[in-house]
Amino acid sequence: MSSQVHVTLAGALIALLIAGLVGATLWWMLHPPESYVQRIAAAAERNLERIVGSLIVAFSPEIDSAHMMALAAKLARGERSELLALYVIEVPYTLPPDAEMTLEERAALDALGAAETIANKNNVVIRTETIKARSTKQAVLDVAKREKADLIILGSYREGKYSGAPLGRVIDEIAADAKCDVLIGVEGKHGTLLIDESAQSNSQQA
Amino acid sequence: MPADSKTAQPELRRSVTPWGSFSWGYSDVGADIFVGLGLVLAWAAGASNVAFLFAGVVYVCIGLAYTELAATYPVAGGGQYFVMRGLGDIFGFIAGWAVLLDFTIDVTLFAWTSVDYSSQLLPALVNSVHPWLHFGVVLGLVVGLCLLNVIGVRESTTFNGVVSALDVISETCILCFGFLFAFRPQLLIHTMQTHWPSPYELMLGTSLAIISFVGLESISQAAQETQRPASIIPRTSVSLILTILIFALAYSNLALGFQPWHPITDAAGHHLQFWQIFPNNPDNQGKAVALLAAQVPYYGAFAALYVPVLGAILLLISSNSGVFGSSRIAYAMSTSNLLPSIFQRVHRKFRTPMISIVFFSVIAVIELVFAAAPALFPAVSSLYTRFFHGENGLGFLADLYAFGAATSYSFVFLGLIGLRLTDPLSPRKFKIPLNVPMRFRGEQVEFPIVAVIGFIGIFSILMFTLFTHPLGRIFGPSWLLLGLLFYLVYRRYRRLPVLGSQPRNWRTAQTEILRRAGELELMDEYVANLKASDARRAGQGT
Repeated sequence: MSSQVHVTLAGALIALLIAGLVGATLWWMLHPPESYVQRIAAAAERNLERIVGSLIVAFSPEIDSAHMMALAAKLARGERSELLALYVIEVPYTLPPDAEMTLEERAALDALGAAETIANKNNVVIRTETIKARSTKQAVLDVAKREKADLIILGSYREGKYSGAPLGRVIDEIAADAKCDVLIGVEGKHGTLLIDESAQSNSQQA
Repeated sequence: MPADSKTAQPELRRSVTPWGSFSWGYSDVGADIFVGLGLVLAWAAGASNVAFLFAGVVYVCIGLAYTELAATYPVAGGGQYFVMRGLGDIFGFIAGWAVLLDFTIDVTLFAWTSVDYSSQLLPALVNSVHPWLHFGVVLGLVVGLCLLNVIGVRESTTFNGVVSALDVISETCILCFGFLFAFRPQLLIHTMQTHWPSPYELMLGTSLAIISFVGLESISQAAQETQRPASIIPRTSVSLILTILIFALAYSNLALGFQPWHPITDAAGHHLQFWQIFPNNPDNQGKAVALLAAQVPYYGAFAALYVPVLGAILLLISSNSGVFGSSRIAYAMSTSNLLPSIFQRVHRKFRTPMISIVFFSVIAVIELVFAAAPALFPAVSSLYTRFFHGENGLGFLADLYAFGAATSYSFVFLGLIGLRLTDPLSPRKFKIPLNVPMRFRGEQVEFPIVAVIGFIGIFSILMFTLFTHPLGRIFGPSWLLLGLLFYLVYRRYRRLPVLGSQPRNWRTAQTEILRRAGELELMDEYVANLKASDARRAGQGT
């Protein structure tokens, strides 16, 4: 049996036309205009990308940020942000700037060790740093400036539960003077920030 | 409020994306050309492209009507809902009942052709060679799909999407390679001039061509689960309309001007044109795309292997859409009190509308028996020859499919006109073109000219079907009359308006529909339209 092939100009043009029309139709279908709600969502997402490029999680004897560290690690993983965990030891003016503060240094090791563990668990690269300074606020703001940080993440006042001044002086001042965005995790009056109540009650029942 | 949230009805999750919505429709409509091409070539011969063009123009009108309606009323009911809302309960029932006929035929017809396509690779399944085996496999598929739907196993949207994407690519390749290497414009003109059919055959071919365009219903049925339906559905519908139209017109023109890679001869050794392998050969009619693909130079060697498989899968998906589509329609009709509440009943264990599924699957099996009878029993064959012009099984199913589609589409056009007049305040993100502005009951409305053109077109196809299909003109109207009788008895028993409609608050319903659809801007626009209309009427009253 002989094979027959007939290439004609009309046939070639029709073939091109079919491929073009089908392709163009499907492309048009898959690119609908955005709705108002979608535009708002897209703008919010773009903003998020801008504000989470470089994150600093700040710790100090006055600032308990362990729970916010977990949140920051998840955020950094999703947005591929640079993450720095910073522990500031405030040295009183009655002591020299490089005074040994064993208890505080030990607490810094614990806090930053926990931060590293959380980051590793979330597969996020983290840098840690301990700084001794006269003012926690100034230290955090200086490091933020040096690192060109987009977002400073802070936990709540070390006392934890609501005691009338949930933020504490340092947190308040950092939020007021920072040149970038500040995310503060504050517990409400009966708040259970990052504490799983159901798990607790289950364990109590058990 | 906690109390409300506990009692609230769970809403369908809006997870269907633009491609998902397209593939829902494509897995239904896209399979039609696999069935329609051979049948139309068999009857309309040299005018097959004209038959497809006529049906295609009507289909575009239908598609535009469905697009407007589904975008304006994104609910799961589809055609019957639009007609019920536009014309009233009884017409909604007739439209829904005709769609139910189509869905049951869909189950049988597509399972049948799925086996026909498989027979391209498994010759034992050829109907004329082993009719009992063919019947048994089709029956097995129908029963199997019924059971799968009862236990709640369905193909996923992802699977639909993948098969649809493969098929769009495949058909585009077949057509591009076919036109590039095997199309002869002179042969097309010669075939049209020398094999122009008689008016009767052309009418028959045109009425069969419409079956290549049935299934747009699927997109509107999935409207409730589609993301931003008012914006997405117009795009997916128009894309589906264009894609299917391009394929249908291209296939029919290619088939008439097609120079097969290897010469085709008849038993006497005479050379045949490609399309001439279809008349009087139901086995070939059921697998036209696979036969054409296999004859495309170069690409055909590869296409011969996969097109029968892809075709069989796509047809089986379409058959399955008939099973769950019929149960969905019956459910929607039942919630509107057009059918008894038994069709809403859900199986305790499987959480599926088992009664609906089994009921309509049984009807599909009955249709299969009617279709297969002439091949299985020689005595029945002679009966068909004597009274029904010797129609074969595939022809019988195609008759009813065309009848059901033409009937429901006719009512959808009327429903669209009715809704344009009675509900001008609903925002229409997509509106079919060519409208005449006028006033109706104190409101400014737009009368759709395209709906009138479409109605004339589809009504003429309905007339062609009744005139040229001896089986279709008996079984189709019988189905409608039987259903109507049942409806009248049911409505009387339930003490509901028999010929009229139940009172419903469409304003509240429409606001809720738009809210659930996530079309908040349209909801605001609708509420503003209502307020403006009420203020205008109050002003006129004083």
